[in-house]
Amino acid sequence: MESGAEGREDVADTRERAGGNMTDAGAAGRRRSGGDRLTPGLALRLTVAFFLPPRFTPRSVRYDRRYRKLDQYRFIVWFLSLPVLVYGVFVVSPFLQAFFYSMTDWTGYSASYEFTGFENYERMWNDDKFWEATRNSLLLLVVAPVVTLVMGLFFAYMLTAGGRRRNEAVAGVTGSGVYKIVYFFPQVLSLAIIAVIWARIYSPRSGALNAGLDAVGLDSWQREDWLGSSWAIWCVLVVLCWSFVGFYVVLFSAAMSAIPTEIYEAARLDGAGRSVTFFRITFPLTWETVRTGWIYMGIQALDAFALVNVMVPEHGMDVLPSYLFEKSFRDGQAGYATTIGVALFVITLLFATVMLRIGRRDRIEL
Amino acid sequence: MSLTKTPGDRPAEQRRQGVTGTTLNVFSHTFLVAWLVMAAAPLLLVVLNSLRPHGDIVSEPFGLPTDLEWANFSNAWTSANIGRYALNSLIILAGSLTGTMLLGSMAAYVLARFEFPGNRLLHLLFVGGMMFPVFLALVPLFFVLNNLGLLNTRQGLIVVYIAYSLPFTIFFLVAFFRTLPGGVQEAATLDGASHTRTFFQIMLPMAKPGLISIGIFNFLGQWNQFVLPRVLNVGDPDDAVLPQGLAALMVQQGYEGDWGALYAGVTLAMMPVLVVYAAFQRQVQSGLTAGAVR
Amino acid sequence: MTSKLNRRSLLTRSAAAGLLSVPAVSALAGCASGGGDDESVERGETTDDNPLGVDPEAELEVIIFDGGFGDQYALDAEAIYQENYGPVTHDKTTEIQTRLQPRMVQGDPPDVINNGGADAMDIAALIRNGQVYDLNELLDAPSLDDPNVTVRETLMPSTVEMGQFGSQEVWRLNYAFTVYGQWYSRTALERLEVEYPRTWDEMIAVCEAAKRQGMAGWTYPGVYPYYFNFTLYPFIGKIGGVEVLQAIDNLEPNAWRHDAVKAAFEAYHELAARGYVLQGSPGMTHEESQDEWNAYQALFIPNGSWVENESRRNTPEDFDMAVGPPTGLDSSDAMPFETLWASASEPFFVPADARNPIGGLEFLRVMLGQESARNFTELVSSLTCVRGAADGMDLPPGLSSAKATFEAAGDNLLVPRLPDWYKQFNNEEVGGAVAAMMAGDIDPDEAITRCQRAADATASDDSIQKFQHV
Repeated sequence: MESGAEGREDVADTRERAGGNMTDAGAAGRRRSGGDRLTPGLALRLTVAFFLPPRFTPRSVRYDRRYRKLDQYRFIVWFLSLPVLVYGVFVVSPFLQAFFYSMTDWTGYSASYEFTGFENYERMWNDDKFWEATRNSLLLLVVAPVVTLVMGLFFAYMLTAGGRRRNEAVAGVTGSGVYKIVYFFPQVLSLAIIAVIWARIYSPRSGALNAGLDAVGLDSWQREDWLGSSWAIWCVLVVLCWSFVGFYVVLFSAAMSAIPTEIYEAARLDGAGRSVTFFRITFPLTWETVRTGWIYMGIQALDAFALVNVMVPEHGMDVLPSYLFEKSFRDGQAGYATTIGVALFVITLLFATVMLRIGRRDRIEL
Repeated sequence: MSLTKTPGDRPAEQRRQGVTGTTLNVFSHTFLVAWLVMAAAPLLLVVLNSLRPHGDIVSEPFGLPTDLEWANFSNAWTSANIGRYALNSLIILAGSLTGTMLLGSMAAYVLARFEFPGNRLLHLLFVGGMMFPVFLALVPLFFVLNNLGLLNTRQGLIVVYIAYSLPFTIFFLVAFFRTLPGGVQEAATLDGASHTRTFFQIMLPMAKPGLISIGIFNFLGQWNQFVLPRVLNVGDPDDAVLPQGLAALMVQQGYEGDWGALYAGVTLAMMPVLVVYAAFQRQVQSGLTAGAVR
Repeated sequence: MTSKLNRRSLLTRSAAAGLLSVPAVSALAGCASGGGDDESVERGETTDDNPLGVDPEAELEVIIFDGGFGDQYALDAEAIYQENYGPVTHDKTTEIQTRLQPRMVQGDPPDVINNGGADAMDIAALIRNGQVYDLNELLDAPSLDDPNVTVRETLMPSTVEMGQFGSQEVWRLNYAFTVYGQWYSRTALERLEVEYPRTWDEMIAVCEAAKRQGMAGWTYPGVYPYYFNFTLYPFIGKIGGVEVLQAIDNLEPNAWRHDAVKAAFEAYHELAARGYVLQGSPGMTHEESQDEWNAYQALFIPNGSWVENESRRNTPEDFDMAVGPPTGLDSSDAMPFETLWASASEPFFVPADARNPIGGLEFLRVMLGQESARNFTELVSSLTCVRGAADGMDLPPGLSSAKATFEAAGDNLLVPRLPDWYKQFNNEEVGGAVAAMMAGDIDPDEAITRCQRAADATASDDSIQKFQHV
């Protein structure tokens, strides 16, 4: 707890100085820069030293005033080179190439294609199915994070501060450890498997959903076809939320248990109830985490591919990734599919930017 | 924590709270328990059905096993080769998880605690990776690997897993490293420790809770990774990883109708993950708490 | 057991998730192929025993789709091939596209591909790219069993047609032979004391009789509603004649507005409206609907002859499976009651870039011999595209019924091409419209309007290659 508090202080401190403990090093460097002149020989030695591990650094260099800065940059370059290389080659470059393929008529089966400029983009603009898939994706993008996060917050709050025990201002409900483990269960399965299991649940005759509705006397709510009808999007939404709530419970409980007990203590002394405590204290203090979680969940909702692809029949609704998939792998139109991928990318980017901007608020310093 | 209270300071206040608290309690607890059932039931269904013969599962998907059909497991293990795929997954994960943690923490440490031109840009580039739809990159990625001679190799899969795990790892760890006290690092530097040494011997051990949390998430993500191996690991079927093996089992199920073996395979695949999570979940918690992801 | 009509098993789709489509700058593909092409095999000497001129030393690589048919039949055929020619490398997979698309792009494909299953490669795209070898050479070669008869002459009707895509080239060989129709249990009909319905009035009467016994008249896999096309298309053809179906295949304007289409849609709609369709069918997979059908919950199911093998685990001993031609409308039908959709399925092709394409042709010639064909029928209980190969064999009830029904049809065969020419249109648009109509969401007129609109959209979409009946 104590180290945590100390850590937070440090963050505030770090942020304030915009860049961490580097500041004095940088300042020191600037002060020195007007000092002794950089001779060519020294420059050479500095350069050599830059590429050598510290232990081989020549003495003359080691005690040079510029050495500290050089040492730092050497370290930075040395530590970043490998991650940046791997990331650049395997993530960034394929994405950049993809933009090129979106302007071709490539089928996906052969090595040849022609450059078609913005034809695919024009076609996409006039493609009703594309817009329908976009609408569905946007619906998921808006609703899924809200539902999942609200549930995640509620459960997390109950588990960290929901219990009232004698002599303790905050405590989770009894058995919160068990809840946290079990809630996380859906996360250990890959989405493809989750989709198979849920497809069985939605199955009209032998599925648990219709059976359950029957059992509680809601027979009239039963449907002959959940996944092929206009209900499909809601069915997918439920599964999406189901599989991610556990993750957010764990994430939010972590954020909530980082809130110092004293604050709850004070609130309790003031006679605040649980809901007041939640809205006045817990929620504002975990807002940063919630916002991050929101973005992350939005991205998951945009990529509901495995769920839609496995659960929803071919003639049923589409979301952007599943439409992209069909175009690419069923219809042999990989070029056009890549164009849809670009659209998906743009939507994701817009969403994240909007979230980061509107969600920004002053950090509450503790 | 230093504040202690004597119960009953304000009796009236507490009584009022007690009444509303009770209704709220009942309400909330119902929800908590309901979700407990919701979260556990499908997994339970998988485990139960893995012990039932195909015919029973079809006629009554939500029934209990009568005779335990252990043969499902031996079917999944031998004919569907689950054991072999699990081993492949383990080998690849050993490399990719180590690599992800190493490269991720190195980059995150530098980005979090040093200022240099391009820091923000690099950080943004890495974090932005979380927003790339993987589908968009699949095809060019295939060619990148092909040209490097890494297609259908373990090394190739490992390095790709690492690359695609970096965004979230760096995002998480940068936040984490920023929370660590800076004084220690400076003290180490003043003591003459090199930056590299400071990182490995001082900062990394301090960051252990964060490393464990993100390690678990990467473990889950890479263990269940499906799309990447489906594209980049299509050479020898014996080299398939577990999710590929399960997918093959699912496809096979569609033709041969053996739900029992499928559920047994899924059970075998999720058990190690459940065990890992259950074993480390406290550390995951404390890692998240300390980092309180921002 | 999927045919080209590609019944998709749920997971297959997710399984296909990562497959690759590989675009490629030719240069890249060039270096990727690692010099595979230059080893391409020269044609050997042609003799009576080796009419195609296979290089006897050359290796052959065969990839078999490991679906409902398994791969034993191919292993047996390979053994025959190897007696005379070079060694065969055999591989099987459930995911044809995932495994082979990279090799197609790299220009290093195997010599024979059994392009089956839900994860099959889009043959039309491959043809457009010139990646498929024309099989006419094989068809004109003497058959394995009788040098005086060409391979072409040994084939069942529609086999060659199914390999053509709007021109004379034959791009693929569909090895199995599928009979589509209304599948039923003779036992169930006997219990109801009714005959197989030949006109729609009789169909209504039979369904009514079933309903009185608490049994549904029909079930179908609503998740894959294009199963309905198996009986709907021949029903339309039967009412209006073969031209109506060809006009539909050719995407002609207002082809769907024909009276025969309207009559067929209305007849099916009546089944749903009168409550003869098993409750829950709109949301069922093929497995679920077949299980219900096997459990005597419904009389008829639109299906293909793979259903017997596919559902064997759940078929009761006394089921006595059979298939009938789609029930006609009435005496004014343009074609006789026996009219049927039966066509070759389970495609094989030889890639144009194969190292040993001649060996590939020879392998197919072996497969088309009586010995291999009978072996196939025996192993997987399906007919083959080889004429008369199943004669005199002891067949299971469903298959012998399929054979009899097919023989009774004589020349009255219909071969709708929508499923393989315009898969998206067939599965998603027609399937979706029929699904909505059967679920009671829209009326027949609207379903037809939807089909026509989609047909027009397909016709005007430049990115879709068009075909015409020749």
